Formats: sequence, structure tokens, C-alpha cells
Amino acid sequence: MRVRVSGGRVFDPASGLVDVVRDVVIEDGRVVADDPTLPSHQVHDARGCVVMAGGIDLHSHIAGGKVNLARLLMTNDRAAFPEPFGDFCGCGGGQAAPTTHLTGCRYSQMGYTAVFEPAVVGANARHAHLEMADIPNIDTGGFLVLGNDDALLRLIAQGEGQGAVNDYVAWMLRATQCCAIKIVNPGGISAFKFNGRSLDLDEQGPFYGLTPRRILTTLQRAVTELGVPHPIHLHGCNLGIPGNIATTLATIGATDGFPLHLTHVQFHSYGTAGDRKFSSGAAELAAAVNANPHISVDVGQVVFGQTVTASADLMAQYRNHGIADPKKWIGMDIECDAACGVVPFAYRDKSFVNALQWAIGLELFLLIEDPWRVFLTTDHPNGAPFTSYPHLIRLLMDRDFRNAQLARLHKAARAHTNLESLTREYTLEEIAIVTRAAPARTLGLKDRGHLAPGAVGDVVLYEDGADREAMFSAPRLVLKDGREIVRNGEVVALVEGRTFAVKPDYDPLMDKRMDRWFDEAIGLKAKHFRIAEGEIRNGHGPSCVECAP
Amino acid sequence: MSTQAPRIVSDLACGFCGLGCDDLEVAVMFREVRPRRACPEAARLLRRGPGQPAAPRVGGREVPLVEAASAAAAHLKASRAAAFSGLGADVAGLRGLADLAVSFGASLDHAASEGLFRNLDTLQRVGWVACTLAELRNRCDVLVVVGADPTGLYSRFFERAVPAPRTDGTGPLFLPQGRTIVFLGHGPEAATRNLLAGQDVREVPVPDGLLAEALAALGAFVAGRSLADLGGAFAGALGEALQEVAGLLKAARYGVLTWNAATLQSGEAGLVVGRAADIVATLNATTRAAVFPLGGRDNGLGAHQVMLWRFGYPLRTLVGGGEARHAPGLYATAAALKDADLLLHTSAFRPDPPPAFDRGPVIALAHPETEFAREPEVFIPVGTPGVDHGGQVFRMDGVVCLPLEGLRDAGLASVAQAAAAILQAGRAA
Repeated sequence: MRVRVSGGRVFDPASGLVDVVRDVVIEDGRVVADDPTLPSHQVHDARGCVVMAGGIDLHSHIAGGKVNLARLLMTNDRAAFPEPFGDFCGCGGGQAAPTTHLTGCRYSQMGYTAVFEPAVVGANARHAHLEMADIPNIDTGGFLVLGNDDALLRLIAQGEGQGAVNDYVAWMLRATQCCAIKIVNPGGISAFKFNGRSLDLDEQGPFYGLTPRRILTTLQRAVTELGVPHPIHLHGCNLGIPGNIATTLATIGATDGFPLHLTHVQFHSYGTAGDRKFSSGAAELAAAVNANPHISVDVGQVVFGQTVTASADLMAQYRNHGIADPKKWIGMDIECDAACGVVPFAYRDKSFVNALQWAIGLELFLLIEDPWRVFLTTDHPNGAPFTSYPHLIRLLMDRDFRNAQLARLHKAARAHTNLESLTREYTLEEIAIVTRAAPARTLGLKDRGHLAPGAVGDVVLYEDGADREAMFSAPRLVLKDGREIVRNGEVVALVEGRTFAVKPDYDPLMDKRMDRWFDEAIGLKAKHFRIAEGEIRNGHGPSCVECAP
Repeated sequence: MSTQAPRIVSDLACGFCGLGCDDLEVAVMFREVRPRRACPEAARLLRRGPGQPAAPRVGGREVPLVEAASAAAAHLKASRAAAFSGLGADVAGLRGLADLAVSFGASLDHAASEGLFRNLDTLQRVGWVACTLAELRNRCDVLVVVGADPTGLYSRFFERAVPAPRTDGTGPLFLPQGRTIVFLGHGPEAATRNLLAGQDVREVPVPDGLLAEALAALGAFVAGRSLADLGGAFAGALGEALQEVAGLLKAARYGVLTWNAATLQSGEAGLVVGRAADIVATLNATTRAAVFPLGGRDNGLGAHQVMLWRFGYPLRTLVGGGEARHAPGLYATAAALKDADLLLHTSAFRPDPPPAFDRGPVIALAHPETEFAREPEVFIPVGTPGVDHGGQVFRMDGVVCLPLEGLRDAGLASVAQAAAAILQAGRAA
């Protein structure tokens, strides 16, 4: 089956093709070199359209226990946003914490074809995968949360050496069928279980006496030596605390040249200037990112409205539970592994802090120069639901629109941001980079994020228009593996996605150690912790992302 | 053939009570399953004889599965108010039942959801801080068991949750000083007392009907009020004992309150749960504490989770016509059956018959040994997850999901297969 997407303006920065009118040809689900002598079975007219690879979101909480707890707390939001009735309705709904079926539908309706759950707790990994198997139309993958797990902290504290840590990390990645390592508040979640209320980068945590710096650098080295494509995906110390920019800058300084991805940096870029002791650290962070080519970030942009925050960082969520809106929240210490905290929240443009958070996110987007190292996220649902991406894209591409929004904000917040003076407007090429090419590259997805021969046939046609929000809200056409799944912003077919995993090697001795650890400490068999390939995506098994040790 | 040795299968996970033990052992010989290491409840539910299990029936007549599925689909199509009860199935089975509900329209509730909803009243309204089994096991230095001793329903709870410290370094990770276990309500049963011998066990007997009051007092003491502040309501031994428990919890490094909401007295269950969560919230301001609610029989927590991720609502929700409506008062099984015109009952883990229902046809996706008060219009005997096929079930903490292993092939369809067959028959018709 040959499918031709004909006459569109192709934006494929990974292949060096920017705004080039050409056909994209897909054969049996993959992009192939165009051979005009061969007949096409299906032709999609892309004239007047911008053609991009399928969108990739590398940080969006879409599956697993904390998302279900968020759904439990957000039934009003669920009722307010029912899934549209029709042939493809799954009787779900919700905007802040949408149901699985709706998650896949809404993402594909915006032209996204792959989304990564960035906080899979090992003990809850089977649940996360079961939910992912229920998400149609997008490929998924999970980042395993390490850095507060007692097994690891004990290994490091006992001085077992980097080799043992590497074997452990590889064992855990395989056991949980994940594709990258995430650290959430290194050592901090563990510290909170011992009643520690804060833990800074160079502070020794309780019981193990380990600093977050030590945990971070040990895991950075492990991921690098195992050859996991995506560097450590770090939710750093002191999330949300005024003045945390100092910690974030120190964290960049701690990386020792190892690559590092700093996630939702908006929440980690706060200064203490001004009479309200809360200010933007965006310029400092952007300068540090610009000066350090081994650092990448995603922003975690705030967009005003009701949402729910869901995080493994119970230390931070406990600190914030008093400002829950509505007033309820759930916390959980999980299985000598991690934790979670779920706190509903409404960001308001008339709130000084929220307005400044909004501005800080945009400052970061506009001040970080290299689009290959900044990814478009709202840390769904923590900064805003992912459905606000088209709005965010317009904020980045349209300065007049941005300034008009800025004018509506809390007055004092406006005085604390230099956003108005930032003239940069993202180009379509840059949007293609931050939503496709760059995330694919950092995740090691060689056949995604571009449209060169060999790429998966995930192709999106956006009708070019001055209103970028409208344009990116409802693509004219979305192809998944060459098959039409969305037309004019409406789902027209449901397909099963894949789930990505890495399979780094480890010394088989680790099997015995883990058997003993699970038997003695956890009270569960290691073999039941491990997820079999057949448990992924309804028996189809994972798609393997290559490691390059 | 009779001389062949049985196959011994070890380290099996168990999906029955919700505690998620995973060190069971059975001997399997063809269709026969004999438990070798299992609690009495699991042993009873794992045991299988060598015989051929029941075949599907329509109106009492044995038929092939496809025919039973067609009959079920026809009934479902004709129904205007179907109630799905039981929901005793693995995750795959629950997903299949959810598909049926989307396709034909039905309300959904689990047989063991009463306790869950008593907990949800607090969890959904205000929330709480909870922990999982391994945290309880390794970290909890003061455990307060509220209400009855859970051993009767969860016979290995104490063995798994609060093992005693050991000198060889293989015991709990963070409890060099051991722990205190307080029974607030009914005291421990004899077996529990034996099991916990050597640990610091305290008993604070509370008369039935006064448990919510006792927790209110405990909460007041934890919040720093004194016996005198309470105006004499708790003067006497109970008040003093509660004050002592409050002191233990405040001094604890990680206190845990556990209860089984299903066995609390219905009049006070909601208050007990709410106050327990409150006490934990107060404690967390200065030290660490968590709740650990017991429950989750027959993958009840799995049903809760699947409902949330598929429909965005807990159980007791009506699904169909492109919508889902959550109304616990209307769609709890007992209430739903008052208005239903069809009952689809699923019980794969145990031979529990469907609830009484005479307003329309009954479809039973049930354990082959189920004894029916009246023959269902459609009976599809289904395999038990962890006996007849593999599957996944959630543990009572709702976090850990366990893989179950199939032990034998007795030709029984899984709930997922039965649901898929019905769905297919409905589409074909």
C-alpha cells in the first residue's frame, strides 16, 4: 500500500528540509524515497498545508496510579468535559485528568502520535502499562522513577560501586519495560518518609547520608554507561520554592559534563527578588542552558485554568497541599520505591505568583536559544492540560497575541517580567523542532520526528493559517503508520499504539540479588515485579529502543 | 497415567482476598489442582477436582460458547436497563466487561465495593495520606488496628505487614527498635496473639457503636487536647488508654492506622474512616503517618482502577449511549436491581451466585461450580484467573498489580474471552 501526501510544504528540520514543497510517500507504514513511476493507492492533497512528522510529547502524565488518583479527585472536571458522542466515543471524559481513550483521541486530534509518561514508579509499572495499552492512536513509553528507591540508596550508601548500580538500573529498566530514567527530587522523597521536609543539593539525607548530588551523578553515570539514549530526566530539588534558581544552577554545575535533561524547569526557575520575594530566574537559567550544550530542558508551561497536579514528589506536594483548589488532596508513600502526591489546583491570571509562573515559562522558551534543547510541555496536567498546546504554540509564534495576554495579567506580575520586550517569535521550523525532531532525538527514536525514508509513517497536515492556535488545534489530516486516523480535527479511526522500552544488559548475578531484596525487604517475589513482554500492549510486546553503551 | 507425578508449581500469586500473597504452591495433575502452601481461603478457592467443568447453558440446555454468547448478546440488545454485578474478574476481564457496557449500556458495581465506597466518601471528598504494604512492613513503628482483627478475612495480614525485627538483618529495614501494635476496638484473635508474640501488642477495647466516638477522642488527643478539655466524656479507662495511644502515635516515626471499612458498623463506618484520615493528617504536620485501608477481594481494586481509567468515575456508574453517569446511590447493585431489566453477573474467583433478581433475564459469567437459586437464562462458566488462565489483579493498596499464572486447561473461557464473544455476537447480529 503506497500513500502519497502530495504538494505540501514540508517542515522536517531533522532532515534539513524546511518549507520545501514536496511529496511524502509512505509504503506499508513507513516513509520511502519518492519514485514517481510507481502508482499510489491513495493520494492526500496537501496543497496549502504545512506537513510535519507526528508530534512527540516527552513529558505528560497520562497513565498510572497517580493519574487515576487525579481522576478520582477530579470528577467535576470529568463531568464538565465529556467525550464527544459518536462512533469513536469511549464514554470517558475529563480535561485535567482525561480517561485513557480520550487521551489518545485528543492527542491524535492535535497531531501528536507519541507521548511519554515521565513518572512510572516501579511498583506501579504494571498498572501504568495496562493503562497505556488502553490508549489508542498514540505510541507511549514510560520513564522509570529512581533515586529514592531504598534498593538503590542502599547500594550507593554501602559503597557497592558503579558497576553494581549500573546492573541494578539495567535490571529495573528491563523489569519495568521502561525507556528512560527519571529522578524526582533525588533523595527527597525518601527523606520525607523519614520526616525530612526539605533536602538541598548538597545536604545529606536521613538514614543513608547521601546527598542529592551524589544520587544524581551516580545515576547519570549509570545511564551514560548503559547507553540509554535519553539522559537522566531530572525533576530537581526544591520544586516550587522561591529562590530555587540557585539550586537549579548548582545542579547544572554538578553534572560534570554528563548530559542531563531538566524537566519542567519553569517550576525550578524562581528567584527571591522584589517585595513579594518571588521573581523570575528565567534569564539566569536560560543563560546557563545556552552556555552548557549538554543540558536540555522542557518547560512545564503554566496556562491559566483548573487543573490537578500529580507528582511523585510527595515532599513538595505536602508543602503545597494547603493551597489545593478544590480543597482536597491525596498522598501516598509507595513500596520502598517512591511516593505520589495529587493536589488539584487552579492557576489564576489575577494571582501574582501564577501570573509570574506563566511569564517565567514563556521567558524560558524565548530566551533559550537552541530549540533542539528545549521541548514544548506543560508537564500535563501540572502546569496545564495538554489540550492547551495549540494555545501555547500561538503564544510562542505570535508576539502581539502574547502581549495582549500579558496585558490581562496581575499588574505587579507584569512589572516583574521583561516578557513584553522579548521580540522573538517561534517559526514553524522551530515548532517542528520543539514538538517533534528534538524529542525524538533525545529519546533515541531514530525512525520518528522526521520524514526521511525509513521514518514511521506518522505524518500531520496542518492547514496554514494566521491563527496558529486554530491551525494546531485541528490538523486537516493525521496519518499513523500511513493510515488516516484524524481528518479536520476529528478522529476517523482508532489504531493500537506501541510502547517503547530499552533493554540494557546486566550481570545475571543481579537477578539473585534482586530475588533476595524482594523476598526480604519488599515481601514480594522479584519475578512478580517483573513485567513480561506479553503484558505490554495487549500481547504485542514492547518496541525496543536501542542502547549504545 | 495414574502413576505420573503431579507438577509442583511454586511462588504463585494469589488474587482472592486482595492481600496479594505470592508464595503459594500447588500440585497440578491434568485438571486437578491441590494446594500445598496457601491460607485456608486460598486453599479452598484454588482446589480443583479432576472432572470436566460445567459447559455453557442457555435456559438450562448445554450449548457451545458461541451460542451462549449469541443468546447473551440478544438479551443485552433487548435490555434497556442492564446491571452488571459481581465484576469478579482479572483486569482483562474487567476491560471486556467495560467494552460490553459501552456497547450495550449498563451500570457497573463490584460485589465487594461496600467497604470501598465507605472509604471513597473520605478519599474523594478530602483525601488522605496512605502507604503500601512494603512501607507498612519496613517503616511502621506504631500500627493501630481500628475495629475488628482483620485475620479472619486476611489471614496472613500480620505475617506479611508487620513481621518482627530479626537479628540477622533480613527483617524490616528501618525498625531496629521493633514496633507497637494497638488493637483499637475488638482485641486480637488467639491466632493473631500467637503470631505477634514477642512484639509490643496493646489492646484498647471499644464497645460496638462507640468506635467513631473513640476515634474522635483519639483525634482530639493527637491534636493536643487533654482529658479535661473533653469535658469528662472520656473520663475513665478508655479515655486514658486513648490518650496513651495518641502519645504513641505522636512519638512514632511512622504511625499507620488500618481498618476494614466493610466490617465496620454501617452507622459509624463513614465517621470512623474520616476521623482516621484526620488523625493521620494531624500527625503528618509534625511526624509521619499514613492510612492503610484493607479490602479489595476478587480484584475489587482492579475494578475500581479500570473504571477510573476507562470512564473517569469509580464503580456504581451507568455507562452507555456515549455517556457515563456516576451515582452511587442509584447504581450500587442492590439499588440498580430495583430498576434493572437484565442482570449480568460476573464471578470468576469464587462460586458466588448472582444476587436475587426476577425482573428480567440473568446472564452469569460465573465459576463453573456456582449453584444457582434459579437457572440463569445464560450461563457461561468461566475460568478462574490464577487457576485456569493467567491474568493481572490489583493488591488492596491499589498500587501493586500482580501477575497470575494459569495452572491447567480445563477448556474454560476467561471472562475476557466470554465478553469478547458476546461483543462479537452483538456486532454480528
